[in-house]
Amino acid sequence: MSHFRTTVLRGFEFKKKDTIIHRLDPRAKAVYVFVMSAITLLFTTPIPIIMTFLSSLIVVVFAKVVKEWSSTMKGIIILSLFIFVVNYLVAPTDKLNYAVSMTMRLIALTSIFSIFFLTTSPEDFSLALLKLGVPYEYTLIFTMALRFIPTLAKDLQMIIDAQRSRGLELEKGNIIQRIKRFLPILVPLVIYEIKRSFMVAEALEARAFGAVESRTYFYEIRMKLIDWALSTSLIISLVLILYLYFMNILPEWLFWKVPG
Amino acid sequence: MLAIEVKGLYFYYVKGEYVLEDINFEIEEGESVVIMGSNGAGKTTLIKHFNGLLKPIKGHVKVLGKDTKECTVAELSKLVGIVFQNPGHQLFAETVEKEVRFALENFGFSENEIRRRVSEILKYFALEKYKNLSPFNLSEGEKKRLAIASVLVYEPDIVVLDEPTIGQDAIQRKKIAEVLRGLIRDGKTVIAVTHDVEFAVELFQRAIILSRGRLIADGDVKDVLTDQEILKAANLLPSQITECAWLLRDLGFPNCIVSIQELEEHIIKALRG
Repeated sequence: MSHFRTTVLRGFEFKKKDTIIHRLDPRAKAVYVFVMSAITLLFTTPIPIIMTFLSSLIVVVFAKVVKEWSSTMKGIIILSLFIFVVNYLVAPTDKLNYAVSMTMRLIALTSIFSIFFLTTSPEDFSLALLKLGVPYEYTLIFTMALRFIPTLAKDLQMIIDAQRSRGLELEKGNIIQRIKRFLPILVPLVIYEIKRSFMVAEALEARAFGAVESRTYFYEIRMKLIDWALSTSLIISLVLILYLYFMNILPEWLFWKVPG
Repeated sequence: MLAIEVKGLYFYYVKGEYVLEDINFEIEEGESVVIMGSNGAGKTTLIKHFNGLLKPIKGHVKVLGKDTKECTVAELSKLVGIVFQNPGHQLFAETVEKEVRFALENFGFSENEIRRRVSEILKYFALEKYKNLSPFNLSEGEKKRLAIASVLVYEPDIVVLDEPTIGQDAIQRKKIAEVLRGLIRDGKTVIAVTHDVEFAVELFQRAIILSRGRLIADGDVKDVLTDQEILKAANLLPSQITECAWLLRDLGFPNCIVSIQELEEHIIKALRG
């Protein structure tokens, strides 16, 4: 019964570690996410998407987050199967190729985003957004959303435990019945989190949130040489790939389609 | 018959980081037991083993003779009713009545039986007038009572409550104590996790103390909760009555006073010389 654990959310929780990936500036990591996502979304054949995914594995190893990353990937197995089936059914032609590519796209994007959130503290990310000109109120919303992922996972687990203790069997019945059975989980979760958000808002206001227009920050982030080098090389690579793609001069094997 | 048998129980959430280590105890049917200890001692983790929400990594937990590893949560929940600490994690239905019906419907009770039980329990918990209201419109104390009612309604043999008095005012606390006293009187096995020493000595016969995942004391509530070393190890404060008796130790007051009546008797005795 342990499969009702909220493992997928754990793969997006920041884990403080001292690795080269963790030490990178969040803006450099944001560029990595942007470039890799763009490549994943550009192609509709599996080979380039699989290559992007495999390259993300190297980053996972360097960041020493294999365990956390694995729990996210395990958590999306069912969603991947769902994406595969739906895409297979709706694709007008090259059904198998389309379904495999779309599923791999989901897996690769999850991997890329998981790496970012596992190795970037919400505070660093918030500072990066501020540096990019996003107003503090909005960056705070994002930081808080990330900060509350573990809390949300904990609440979700408590609710699941409480309802199962009153005889709720989530694994019983057909798909419609199973979806209906999630109502006793979702209602308390939504209500509880709305209440919590009001409490957090009050606690922020009680500590003078928004009292002055220009605020100061406890610590700053700075792009180092390695961050500039990584960001520049990633952007150059993307521009090059886009040029080769639109000029139709990429090698043909990249466009190999899954037969069937 | 044993209500609960815990033998050589080991459990961890993260491999190797044990939350419970070598826990052994038995609870007889009809016993009232309080489980205490500091935050993070493993109390809630322990009670989640009673209805199979968690399964032992090593050792076993038997509930009324059934090994929890061989039963589903639904099967065990029929025997063990757990009331969790926060009613907000449980209440979801449109009305108070539907909230109470939830477990009965899950366990497949007949419609007539559901109606009878729901009506009785709402009356018992003084929630009848709210039966058509949303549970979210109730006060915190009423929500707590509703959460307890929604478990007791299916009459489990063993009732487990996680922090029943937390966040409750004196009147609500008294009402909860009254309900538990009734259950104990009716011969139910009642287990509670609490930090409330006064509540524990007032209602329960036996105390099990956990500290950092290990069982450090198990015995008569009066003996355990007046032992300074145990209280210190479990980050607990003695009840005010016990503390008062300790302050009057030089006047011949025994260390193990827990009730106001005992204290009164000794004060009168001391005043009379």
